[in-house]
Amino acid sequence: MQAVDDYINRVRFLPPAPRIVPELMKLLKQTDLDSSKVVKLVSYDPALTANVLRICNSAYFGAATTTCDLQEAVTRLGFQQVYQLVTAVMGARMLGASQPGYGLDDGELWKHSIAVAVTAQMMARKLSDDENLIFTAALLHDIGKIILAQALETIYPKLVRETEMNQQSLLESEKKLLGVQHAEVGARLLERWKFPPNIVASVWFHHSPKGAGNHQRLASYIYLADMIAHFMGHGYGHLAFALRGRSEALTILGLTSESIPQFLMESFDEMRTVEALFSLAA
Amino acid sequence: MLTIERTETARLFMVELADLMVSQDPGLVLCTFPLGACLGIAVYDPVTRVGGVLHSMLPDSSIDPKRAAARPGMFLDTGLAMLLEYACNLKVKKENLLVYVAGGSEVMDETACFNIGKRNYSVLTRLLANYGMSIHAEDVGGLTNRIMQLNLGTGAVRLKYSGQSKMKTLCKP
Repeated sequence: MQAVDDYINRVRFLPPAPRIVPELMKLLKQTDLDSSKVVKLVSYDPALTANVLRICNSAYFGAATTTCDLQEAVTRLGFQQVYQLVTAVMGARMLGASQPGYGLDDGELWKHSIAVAVTAQMMARKLSDDENLIFTAALLHDIGKIILAQALETIYPKLVRETEMNQQSLLESEKKLLGVQHAEVGARLLERWKFPPNIVASVWFHHSPKGAGNHQRLASYIYLADMIAHFMGHGYGHLAFALRGRSEALTILGLTSESIPQFLMESFDEMRTVEALFSLAA
Repeated sequence: MLTIERTETARLFMVELADLMVSQDPGLVLCTFPLGACLGIAVYDPVTRVGGVLHSMLPDSSIDPKRAAARPGMFLDTGLAMLLEYACNLKVKKENLLVYVAGGSEVMDETACFNIGKRNYSVLTRLLANYGMSIHAEDVGGLTNRIMQLNLGTGAVRLKYSGQSKMKTLCKP
């Protein structure tokens, strides 16, 4: 843990904390949710407000009349939808840039993250788990990459060589070359940003769900959705497929490998829907 | 994004995931989106310069016939049948078609739970054999995501690997 903290403390650039997301997650848990609290939180961020209004007024939501009132937009979209929009807009801000250290071009980490998020959400819906929680955890699962990419920029040929020669995963190569890996760095960053322990644990163990203790289910959703996103072509950068197969993720969710093709087809449907939606938010 | 730069003379046509395109327009370059574990199949007849590209996700349409009817390109069996049918509609002889295959990337999985790419490839080779066809050149498996493009004017087939700027030639013009 200390090594991870030291590492984060040393980096030149840290993204600004998406403070609003953990706050909204707290609100989401309340049974008598007061939408004025949501409006207040969103209104602190002018760009976010503009995005919520723009999307609320888009053809996608079949808006008959245009509104420029945030309260009305939140009422119209519903809190669930607003929550996802806010999370996605914050995600796009943090994950949108290119990360040459990983061979990721502009928008690729973002597109990967959104593919994993909507796939994990779809799976959670089918298996009756908390889809908002899973969406958020999955969206942020690779946040640690934006920290490690800075260090990898100068040594990525070494990372590629190390991975190929030793037939190890990218995660294992990161650990060997940098002493830390992106899953633990991302988790620790989210912990600093006051995200709940279930999100922190599931991000930490998204490449090895068994390690997530009480949060194995959540980690398994991210793991499987990450796999499916890769299969569908939404895994980018150097040696993106250098991932370990963990059949335990299927077992933890009570699934078999037979379910994967079905999830692939449904992930395809989800992506077609959100591509239209999130190109607006980008 | 993992896309190919537009060439000077040719127009780029992006073939959607779970879709296909066949054309006899020599000014077109057919290009897939990143393939992942899916397979990109390009066919080309050097005589008529008719060619097509298919981007299939899964091996077998029997898993969801309704979907296959709406989107034949999603599955290798229905997608390949349609690719060949469309090419033959443009007066191409099946035996003249050169077949190129790319994609099918694989994760490091000893349990074979996640070997979608491998399953896709083995079904494709069986299907091609049933048509009496074989693969002319391929770039399949491995740890990297890639896209494939077919130039209908020259017959050149090129690949771009994610994270790399240089393109790889699978078949020279």
